Amino acid sequence: MSIRRKVSIVVGLAQSLIGAFATAFAFILYHNFLGTQAMLNVTAKDVVFYMLILIVFGLLSIISGLFLVNEQ
Amino acid sequence: MMGIGGAIQAGVFVMLGYAAGLAGTALVVALILCGVINFFTMCSYAELGSAIPKAGGEYTFAKAAYGGFVSFLTGWFEWISNMFFAALSSVGFAYIISYLIPVNVPLTAILTIVVFAFINIRGVEEVGRSQVLMVGTLLVILIAFILNGLVIPEAGAIQLSSPGGPLGVIQATAYIFVVYLGVEAIAVAQAEIKNPSKTIPRAIFLSAIVLFVVYPLTAYVMFRIVPPEAISSQSSSLIYVAQLSMGDLGKVALVIAGTIAALSSVNTSIMAQSRVAYALSRDGYFPKALLRIHHKFSTPHVAVVVGAIFTAVLAATGVINFVGYATDFGFIIGFALVNLSLMKLRKEKPLLDRPFKTPFYPFTPIAGIATSLFLLVFIDPGVLSLGIVLCVLAVLAYYIRMVGYLRFRVAFGGISLGLGGFTATLSYLIATGFMPLNGVSPTAITAIVFILLFASIIQIIAGLLNVTAKGSMF
Repeated sequence: MSIRRKVSIVVGLAQSLIGAFATAFAFILYHNFLGTQAMLNVTAKDVVFYMLILIVFGLLSIISGLFLVNEQ
Repeated sequence: MMGIGGAIQAGVFVMLGYAAGLAGTALVVALILCGVINFFTMCSYAELGSAIPKAGGEYTFAKAAYGGFVSFLTGWFEWISNMFFAALSSVGFAYIISYLIPVNVPLTAILTIVVFAFINIRGVEEVGRSQVLMVGTLLVILIAFILNGLVIPEAGAIQLSSPGGPLGVIQATAYIFVVYLGVEAIAVAQAEIKNPSKTIPRAIFLSAIVLFVVYPLTAYVMFRIVPPEAISSQSSSLIYVAQLSMGDLGKVALVIAGTIAALSSVNTSIMAQSRVAYALSRDGYFPKALLRIHHKFSTPHVAVVVGAIFTAVLAATGVINFVGYATDFGFIIGFALVNLSLMKLRKEKPLLDRPFKTPFYPFTPIAGIATSLFLLVFIDPGVLSLGIVLCVLAVLAYYIRMVGYLRFRVAFGGISLGLGGFTATLSYLIATGFMPLNGVSPTAITAIVFILLFASIIQIIAGLLNVTAKGSMF
């Protein structure tokens, strides 16, 4: 396995994990687990906006990461 | 047993309350209507399942009939619908056991998914052995509940009425249709069933008949004991009624029955989604990684895990009504396509060996298509919007396969570079105070800056790797 392939797998996994974390964090923020809304001073009105940004960021990162992991 | 176990599911325990609010005591009629509509399509499943014994079920049927985008769309919606179904069942399970012990509903639902993903990696045979006992217990408890409700002296006669009139009944039918889902999972796992040409039609019709008898009787018995208004706000109307009519013993028994029903459905739908994903991967629509078979258990373990992750995300919402409607939507589209596939194959492959033939053809599949699509009109508008988004994603996913992997990879490389630049800029603005985060502690701000910085570095490297992929112009 070439160095580029190894780097691609590592970076791809990291990117996918970042994406998954962002998506999960969107739900954590929405459900206010562990008081995240208060911790980050996010109002109830702005929660949906931040959720949307996190989910879009997360999904794009996951897809891009999968391209790297499944490099042909 | 797989059919009954997958079909008597959490829906009947946690969705009847809301449906009673829509249709009143006429919910009994709505459940009968659901059974009739479901029967039309189950005939198609029985014929196609016995004639085409390959893994993939609906997707394989549509592929044999149409091929191309139609078959991909069928598989796509079946895959997604089974994940919605698993999410619905796991959330339902959490609501059911909350009658005995207080639990965090989303967390419990997620843990349930994880456990059954592991069980499914071990294989259908392992599940089948325990499922026979579980489903038998479930049926005994439900029958005891029904018999108690029929003979209990305090219960009164019911008069069928709907607060929303006929429209309320149809709305309830569209909502509660999900309780009949699960039987078709038999056709998805057919490659792992012995003598599928005889077993599948028999299993499908037996399961459908059991549901057609049990569900309306359950609703009838419920309304003999309490009026619809009393149960419309209950998280589990069945358990509530059981406690009223049979005391704590009834409550515990129905919680056990509900648990069995919910967990059986979770198991069946996780299995079904993995087999559909496997079939889509086999034909190149999904990544090849989903084709991997476990060296010891001979199951598509990667497909199980990937589907379980998406299902867990859906289950994390913890909202029964949304997931219920979404499940309905996906399966209704799939059912329409299966009926269309039957008709196409009857026309173009009349000599195909069909151990079972749909009765009253072509009335049966046409009725299946018409009645299923009619229900779509009454599904929650938010879910219909989600359905449109899913259709768009299906077109994109199919387009990727058709147009070329490399172009999309380069495009996503560019997107990653953009995301990397964005997060790097955000990190800089927060660190230098140009974008103050009022009310957030300094420790949290530092953590946010470092997380954003790390994410931006990964995004930029990933973007460069994708953009400079082998074969690209860069």
